[in-house]
Amino acid sequence: MASYIIDKKDLKILLDKFLKEFKVYGPIKPGLDSSVDEIKSIDDLHLEYKSTIISPKKFFLPPKDTLFEFKIQKGNYEIKEIVNDEKFILFGLHPCDVNAILKLDEFFSGKFKDKYYQNRRKNSIIIALNCTQPGENSFCKSMNAGPFLYKGYDILLTDIDTKYLIEIGSDKGKKIIQGLKLNIASKNDLLKKEKKCKLANKKIKKILDPNWLPKLAEENLDHEIWIDLGERGGVAGSFPCLSCGSCSLVCPTCYCYDIYDTVDLSLKNGSRVRELDSCQLLEYGQVALGGNFRKDRKDRIRHWMFCKFGAAAGSKNSSCVGCGRCIRVCPSKIDITKVAKSLWRKK
Amino acid sequence: MMNEYYPNFAIIKEIKKETINTNTFVLKFTDQKIADKFSWKPGQFMMLSVLGVGESAISISSVENDNSINATIRNVGNVTNSIFSLKKGDSLGMRGPYGTGWPLEKIIGKDILIVAGGMGLAPLYGVINHVIRNRTEYGHLEIIYGARTPENMVFKDEFSKWKRIKNSTFFLTADEITRENPFECRTGLVTSCFPMMKTHHRNAIALLCGPEIMMRFAAKCLETIGFADKKIYLSLERRMKCGIGKCGHCQIGLKYVCKDGPVFNYDDIKPFIRPL
Repeated sequence: MASYIIDKKDLKILLDKFLKEFKVYGPIKPGLDSSVDEIKSIDDLHLEYKSTIISPKKFFLPPKDTLFEFKIQKGNYEIKEIVNDEKFILFGLHPCDVNAILKLDEFFSGKFKDKYYQNRRKNSIIIALNCTQPGENSFCKSMNAGPFLYKGYDILLTDIDTKYLIEIGSDKGKKIIQGLKLNIASKNDLLKKEKKCKLANKKIKKILDPNWLPKLAEENLDHEIWIDLGERGGVAGSFPCLSCGSCSLVCPTCYCYDIYDTVDLSLKNGSRVRELDSCQLLEYGQVALGGNFRKDRKDRIRHWMFCKFGAAAGSKNSSCVGCGRCIRVCPSKIDITKVAKSLWRKK
Repeated sequence: MMNEYYPNFAIIKEIKKETINTNTFVLKFTDQKIADKFSWKPGQFMMLSVLGVGESAISISSVENDNSINATIRNVGNVTNSIFSLKKGDSLGMRGPYGTGWPLEKIIGKDILIVAGGMGLAPLYGVINHVIRNRTEYGHLEIIYGARTPENMVFKDEFSKWKRIKNSTFFLTADEITRENPFECRTGLVTSCFPMMKTHHRNAIALLCGPEIMMRFAAKCLETIGFADKKIYLSLERRMKCGIGKCGHCQIGLKYVCKDGPVFNYDDIKPFIRPL
């Protein structure tokens, strides 16, 4: 599909058109750090961000989501459907996050379709922004998830100095820019994008080979590194894991959730809620009578790492995109790339 | 689009007492269309829910002619506790069946060794009934059932019938016998019956269900007496929230217990259930 360009100062025109028809969420910087939140005008937008702490997964798999509401009357039940059909635009998502959404797309399709996820996904439009300033923790290049994006977007923006290059990725994307007067991109503009891509790639310092990650997991089920990581002094300069679950909280591909019921004071109305969960937490594997299938911290951190290596039941759909969020938030300074490298070295 | 998370409703047709804290609930879908369509395999499970309390994975022990589902439940947690507070005629939420079930077709012609511990007999109850109904299709049937005490045993009414099954052996064993011993139980763990076992590994398949520690040791003992890992199947318990392979809680290695199991070939999951 054709590519266009827009002057940076004209981005307002584009955004205003979107704001008229949709709710728009994009990167903002309310305090010290950026997050993806609702945009009311161009002034809210903060496109020069490196990464947000919480990933845009929250728009499709909210931290807390009501599955259905129910009424209990004289031992009879009545279920009330929850319909969510807000149409929205995610503006300025980075390639790693878009790739994470693609992984979740695959996970939530299949034999049992997840209506909640798929509805939100259907109602969303993704306007991605190629990442020209990867952070020091990013290793998206190794995971084939960045810093530039090649699939999964409806519209893709690239910062080429004074202008943005606009590429269309889908009919949805084509439709929403209809009526705007945009200049066709020249060969020179496309060359500039290439150059930017090369520059961004150079900025990424963390490199690993993703192809041997699943094998590494398979071969090192009983490796002492897991004891180091869980109970002893940590691995490659880290402290031992605290089982705080921060890594799952920020991970754009962690999908595990808990389901529970809540009732109001009358005990007659209630809802079934799903809330994101983490395999790092002790309660995750707990069953009645005090049994726990992942009681030891080493088992839990190992499971998380394997899941990100693409060697757990979620398979490639839960594996890492290299956004580096977990490295950034870990209070014990555990670095997944260093763990992988230590396993490789100690083979 | 159908929403798999919505429970259907079922009415409690009957409650049979099994032990002091275990009952068999006979449940029938209130929607006759759903009841008519229901089909199952021994080893599969249902998600039972009491709205306002929560949902639990409960295995199907048998299904009656009118597609009523027999669920043998031990009162151990929040959901089971509230199921026990329900009376005949009350309704609860039910969806399923989920999971793979025992490989009944694959083991036609083989001798069958069933090793069950405690509540672990519930998912195997359907296998025993299947073998009784299709007696000529299978070889020798050996049942080894253990529990903490004889009083803790489930399906006690069936024991005399099982003792009379053609071409079969039946062992009952309890960890301790404190009071009466009506079924001539031996004392000891299930593995203590292995030396007297008639089944020879050459043409046999072992089906195991019980506490994980029991299965671990039983599988290990079977291995030492010559059973190949591939000939051992076991049904696992895990925390389950969705039952459809999404919520993640029941993951074991590369598999979901709810979707790829709960019945697994020992060969596939051995690395993940050994004591580490």
